[in-house]
Amino acid sequence: MGEKPVVVQFFGLNFNLTNCIAGLVAATLVFIFVFVLSRKVEMKPNKKQNVLEYFIDFTNNIVKANMPSKYVSKFSLFAFTMFLFVFMNNQLGLFLEVIIDDHIVVKSPTASPVITMTLASITLLMSYAYSMKKRGFKGYLKSYMEPVSFLLPINIIEEFTNFLTLSLRLYGNIYAGEVLLTLIGGRLAKAQGFLSVIYSAPLTMIWQGFSVFIGSIQAYVFVTLSMVYISHKLSEE
Amino acid sequence: MHFQPIIGMSLEIGDMLYYLVLFAVLMLLVAKFAWGPVMDMMEKRRQKISDDLDNAEKSRTEAAQMAQEREEALKNSKADAVEIIATAKTNGETQKNLILADANTAAKDIKQKADLAAEKAKQDALASAQTQVADLSVAIAEKLIQKELTTADQTNLIDSFIKGLDPNETK
Repeated sequence: MGEKPVVVQFFGLNFNLTNCIAGLVAATLVFIFVFVLSRKVEMKPNKKQNVLEYFIDFTNNIVKANMPSKYVSKFSLFAFTMFLFVFMNNQLGLFLEVIIDDHIVVKSPTASPVITMTLASITLLMSYAYSMKKRGFKGYLKSYMEPVSFLLPINIIEEFTNFLTLSLRLYGNIYAGEVLLTLIGGRLAKAQGFLSVIYSAPLTMIWQGFSVFIGSIQAYVFVTLSMVYISHKLSEE
Repeated sequence: MHFQPIIGMSLEIGDMLYYLVLFAVLMLLVAKFAWGPVMDMMEKRRQKISDDLDNAEKSRTEAAQMAQEREEALKNSKADAVEIIATAKTNGETQKNLILADANTAAKDIKQKADLAAEKAKQDALASAQTQVADLSVAIAEKLIQKELTTADQTNLIDSFIKGLDPNETK
């Protein structure tokens, strides 16, 4: 993590090329994953199709558990893509870290708060959009006064907390994982020469395994909470 | 070691837009190449399974109905058989009675005719016997006239004559 990110200015906006490239890599991997698995779709599922259908079932169950059944089909694709994308973003930095001339080019994009906030805002903007679509703009504004009008400030604060908890939980978990991985792999291994390289190797492996676990859990939690927030906005009160 | 400070770092709005577009494009691609076909197939499979279940239910009902029909038919055939046997028995009884009655009548007829014939034969025999007796009497008388006989002799003569005529008829 000690390496500098590559930031370029483009149309007056800051682009962090590290995140852009890593996101593109993650998205490409996700696409290749589903593309390869869905090549031969048959009535009697083959092995590849089974894997894909397992993932689809998994995310569909997340949606079903948190949504009224009439909205399930609307959000299942979103949940599926979001799960795979976040999952891949979480795992990317564990096995791939490209550093060119002291500039880091590829790492876990979700170890950056800007990216997790972007992902969280996708979810929350969707929830606002669907709420407005369902109740109309006035009904949407009015929903902040429910169930009683003096809860208005609390409801508004809740939107911020939702946004922050959703994004920063993911960021914190992945960032911490990457920091510790860098500490073990980058600092501890070089501390005492050859000896420390030997004993830091299993530690790295253990922590990588744990990070895979955390990354999966966080992807699951992220999608689950996304669905909870969206269904909260859609629910009749 | 240099950690990038969170506060005071340049806000990378470009990244946000980039990720929004990236995510949207990824979702479209996934929808087109993987989600769509797989969901279609899952829906088709669901439909097929549900159809198959419906069909199975239908054929089960049909089979049950058929079995019931067969059972009823079997029951009916048993009843039919019983009826047929009963009818046959009745018919047999009637016929037997009829034949018996006929036979009885015929036997009575035959017996009556035989009786009549016997009676007639007896009468005829008696009549002929009487005629013969008369003839004999006349012959005897003729002979007696020629030769005198005692009354006892005459009686003996007649009796012996009659006895000699027919042992069955005399009593």
